[in-house]
Amino acid sequence: MFSRSVLRSLASDLRCTATYSSAAPLPQRACLYQTALLRASQQEPSSQSSTPNPDTPLSATPRAQTSQPDAYEGIKVPSSDPTTTFIIPQTRRDVPIEKQPVAPTFDSPLKVTQSLMSRLPHLVGQSPHYVVAELHARPYLLTEGDHIRLPFLMPKVKTGDILRFNRASALGSRDFTLKGSPHVDERIFECRVRVTGVESEPLRIKEKTKRRQRHTKTAKSKHRYTIMRVMDVRIKTPEELLQEGAVVVEDTEEATKIEAKS
Amino acid sequence: MPVKGIRTVTAARNGVGAFILQCKRLDFHYCNFGGSSRGMLAFLTQTLPAFARENPQIEIRVSPRHQKHPVIKGQYINGREKSICVRNLEPEDILKKAMILKDASGDKLKRTKKPITSLNESVRGIWSPYHGDLRGV
Repeated sequence: MFSRSVLRSLASDLRCTATYSSAAPLPQRACLYQTALLRASQQEPSSQSSTPNPDTPLSATPRAQTSQPDAYEGIKVPSSDPTTTFIIPQTRRDVPIEKQPVAPTFDSPLKVTQSLMSRLPHLVGQSPHYVVAELHARPYLLTEGDHIRLPFLMPKVKTGDILRFNRASALGSRDFTLKGSPHVDERIFECRVRVTGVESEPLRIKEKTKRRQRHTKTAKSKHRYTIMRVMDVRIKTPEELLQEGAVVVEDTEEATKIEAKS
Repeated sequence: MPVKGIRTVTAARNGVGAFILQCKRLDFHYCNFGGSSRGMLAFLTQTLPAFARENPQIEIRVSPRHQKHPVIKGQYINGREKSICVRNLEPEDILKKAMILKDASGDKLKRTKKPITSLNESVRGIWSPYHGDLRGV
């Protein structure tokens, strides 16, 4: 989850700097993760040697990259096609390779409707924003800077990790709401959270009794919970979406819409 | 003229920009004689150097305490202290206890029902009966 943010920033950076004269123009620029990373792996030495300090900012959230620099290291896994190798980012050395986070592959570019594109600037321009992010099918209404205490202990995260929530049922500002059907496409927004630690509840003691018995059993429980902090909630502008390869289509009934407050 | 207190302008929100680990110091106490410290002595010699190397932001102190059970104490940025007694534990279990103290926020343990606490104002505002269009019943 964390590596996705790094990947995305890396991909967007390289898209900005070095992809317009790419040797192999890909038909769909929106399926950006692995393809962009492939190009990144091919072009990284040249682009880095020529421009040690790139003019364009690395990403919308440059701080997302700084916490774990060794996430850039990847393991090359030979794919079925002998000419290409997919890079699986390795954020955790103790996690086996088959359980590593895999960058999503989008088989089609992001489709946005005309009405969404026309109304999106109103939504983007009106801050602050909120996002109803879903985690294990539970909604969490998040704004920037919120403190989350998940009702469970999230496995395989460490303190200081940055996660990106990619499933949202709604995005909104004061007057506008973008409702997903049932979910908003993850390429429209960015929501990052930082794992700040693990908390536990006070010890709970439950007395268990049976009838006609003098014996009482006490059951103890002390659960642990992951605590997090929302780093940013950002909705992309139409220009960014088009730059990332979104395709504008005709309006349909079941497409995601932006509704104004009535 | 009533005296007015100084209002706080900002509230600390660790992790939004920079992230600082809340645990600032870990004290490891052991006894050279007691049998309950046997696991602790093994932990101090085998595991602790690697643990300290992985967490350079935590100050680590090791000190003997005679005729007492071994204890790990954590000092936190908010001024509180947490301590865990690790008598008769194996080195792996002691490492788990040390990780608990490292990841803790230092606050008192509380039971909360709501997952999200926010300092921000409500994004959508408070509902008002006098605004917005009229709706038929």
